[in-house]
Amino acid sequence: MTTFFLSLYVLVWPVIVAGVLFFISRGFIQEWLEARRNGEDII
Amino acid sequence: MNNEIVQFSALTVVLLLVFFYGGTFYISTRIGKKKENADDYMTAGNKIGFGISAASMTATWIWASSMYASATSGYTYGISGPIHYGLWGALMILFIYPFGKRIRKVAPRAHTLAEVMHARHGRSSQLMLAGSNIVGSVISLMSNFIAGGVLISMLSPFNFIQGVLAVAGGVLLYTLWSGFRASVLTDFVQVVAMLGAVAIIVPVIFFASGFPAAFETGASNLTPQQSNFFSSEAFLGQGAPYIAAVLAYAIGNQTIAQRLFAVREDLIKPTFITATIGYGAMVIGVGMLGVLALYIGFEPSGGDMNNLIPEMAASYLPGVLLALFFIMIIGALSSTADSDLAALSSIMMADVYGQNVAGKDKADPKKMLLIGRATMVVATALAVAFASMQLNILDLLVFVGALWGALVFPVLASFYWKKVTNKAFTVSVLVALAIFIPVRFELIPINGVTGLLIELLSVIGIGVVLALMSFGFFGLRVAKIVGVVAMLASAPFVFGFLRDYTTLSASLVAYSVSTIVCYLMSFRSKMEFDFDVIAVRTGDFDAVPAKTGAAEAGHDPKSLGGK
Repeated sequence: MTTFFLSLYVLVWPVIVAGVLFFISRGFIQEWLEARRNGEDII
Repeated sequence: MNNEIVQFSALTVVLLLVFFYGGTFYISTRIGKKKENADDYMTAGNKIGFGISAASMTATWIWASSMYASATSGYTYGISGPIHYGLWGALMILFIYPFGKRIRKVAPRAHTLAEVMHARHGRSSQLMLAGSNIVGSVISLMSNFIAGGVLISMLSPFNFIQGVLAVAGGVLLYTLWSGFRASVLTDFVQVVAMLGAVAIIVPVIFFASGFPAAFETGASNLTPQQSNFFSSEAFLGQGAPYIAAVLAYAIGNQTIAQRLFAVREDLIKPTFITATIGYGAMVIGVGMLGVLALYIGFEPSGGDMNNLIPEMAASYLPGVLLALFFIMIIGALSSTADSDLAALSSIMMADVYGQNVAGKDKADPKKMLLIGRATMVVATALAVAFASMQLNILDLLVFVGALWGALVFPVLASFYWKKVTNKAFTVSVLVALAIFIPVRFELIPINGVTGLLIELLSVIGIGVVLALMSFGFFGLRVAKIVGVVAMLASAPFVFGFLRDYTTLSASLVAYSVSTIVCYLMSFRSKMEFDFDVIAVRTGDFDAVPAKTGAAEAGHDPKSLGGK
C-alpha cells in the first residue's frame, strides 16, 4: 500500500468513531428531552 | 527505541480518579431510588432507549484487554492485525442480533439467559449456563482490575495494589445501589469519554510519532507477512481462533444477554448495528497504535505487550491528552467491570435465589435486592484478592470459552427446535467438554488417526460456526448450504494441517461435538415444546403478575413444554 492509503487506513477509524459518537449522543439527548417532557426518569 | 515516559504526580492521579468515579457516582445518585425495584435492578424495566442501550452495548463489549490485544495484534501481525481482532469481534455483535430478537420474543421479560434455559429445559441446563457466567464474570472483573492496577502503577507513583483497590472501590461505589440501571447510564458517559478519546488520540499520536513519513522510513521493520494486508499468518494466528471464540462469548455472556433483555424490543436492531460499528472502529483504531509502533521500531519495556499502548501514549501525548487517555482506559475497564457486577448480581438474584432457592412465585423482592448487593461486594472482594495474587488466568479463560463454545448450538437450538430435551442439552455440553480438554491441553497425541479424527471434527466445527451465523439472518435452508459448502471448501486445508493449531481445533471440536450429540439425541425425540410457556415461566419478580398471552390462552405453565 502507498503512504497515502496507509495513512487513510489508519486515520479512517477515528473518523468513524466520531460519527458513532454523534449518533449515540443524539439518541441520548432526544431520549433525555422526551423523558423530561413526560416528567419521567430517563432510566 | 528508548522512550521518555511522562508520569502523573500522585495528586493528579487522585484528582483524575475522583473526577471520574465521583462523576459516575453522582450520576448514579441522580437515578437512585429509596425503594429500588428488584426487576429494574436487573433489567431496568425492559424499556431502555436507543442512546443508552447502544452506548451500553458498545461500552460493555470493549474492555481494557480488547484495546491492548488489538494493539498487540497490530504489533505482531502487522497492518492486518487490528482487523483480525476488531472486525471479527464487531461482526459477532451483528451476527447474534437475529438470535437476540428471537430470544426476546419468546422471553420478553426475562433477566438472564440461564433463567430462560430453566424455563425451557430445567435446572441442569440453567446451572451450566449460570455457573459458566459466574466464573467468566469473576475472571473478567479480575482482569479489568489488573489492567487498572497496571495502568495506575505505570503512570503514577502509586503501586499496583493501590491501583487495583482504587478501581475496585470506584466501580463498586457507583454500581452497588442502583445495579444495572447505574451500569447502563454510566456506560453512556464512559462511552462518550472512550470514543471521544480515540477520535483525538489516534491522529495526535500518528502525527507526533513521525507519520506519514515513517511509513517509508520504517517499512524495513516489517516482514513480508506483516506488510501484507491479506496475511495468512494473521488470519490463522489471530483471526480464525478469535472468530470461533468470540461467537461463544457473544452467545454465552450474561452481560450481553442482560442488555438484550433491557433494551426496548423494537430497538434491538439499531442498538446492535450501532454497537457493531462503534466497537469495530474503536478497537481497530486503538489497534493501529500497534501498527505505528511496529513501523517506528518502538519496543515496550520488558517485552510486555500490555505496556505497548500506555507507553506509546506516555511517549507521544502531551499531559492533557495523556489524562484523556488515562480516563479512556479507566472508562473501558470500569464499564465492563460494572457490567460484570450487574450480571453476577442478576444471576444470584434470578437464577440461584429466584428460581432455585425460593421459587419464582415465593421470591421476596427485598431479599433479592439484598442478595444482589451482597453479591457485588463479595465478587469485588474476590476479584481484588485474585488480582493481587496476579494469577495466570489464561487456562481458566480458555476453559470458560470452551464451555460457552460447547453451549452455543444447544442454547440456540433450544430457542428454535421443539425437540431439544434437557438430557440432550446437558449430555452434549458435557461430552463436548470431555473431548475439548484433552485436545486443547494436548493430553493425547494429536497425530495419526487421532489427528485425522480431530481434524474431521474441526471441519464439522467450521461448518457449524458458519451455518449458525447464516441461520440467524437467512434461515435453515441457507444455513445448511453454507455449512456444507464451508466443510467441503475447508477440508483440503484442514487435514494434515490444523493439528498444529490446538487452540483453534479445540474450539472447533467443542462446537462440532456438542452439535452432533445434541442433534443425535434430539431428532427422534417425541418432545414438542410449546415456546409460549417460556414467557409464563420467566418474568417479573417484583410486581403483580400480569396476564400473558399464554396465560390468557389457558396454558398451564407446569403442564406444558413436554416436562
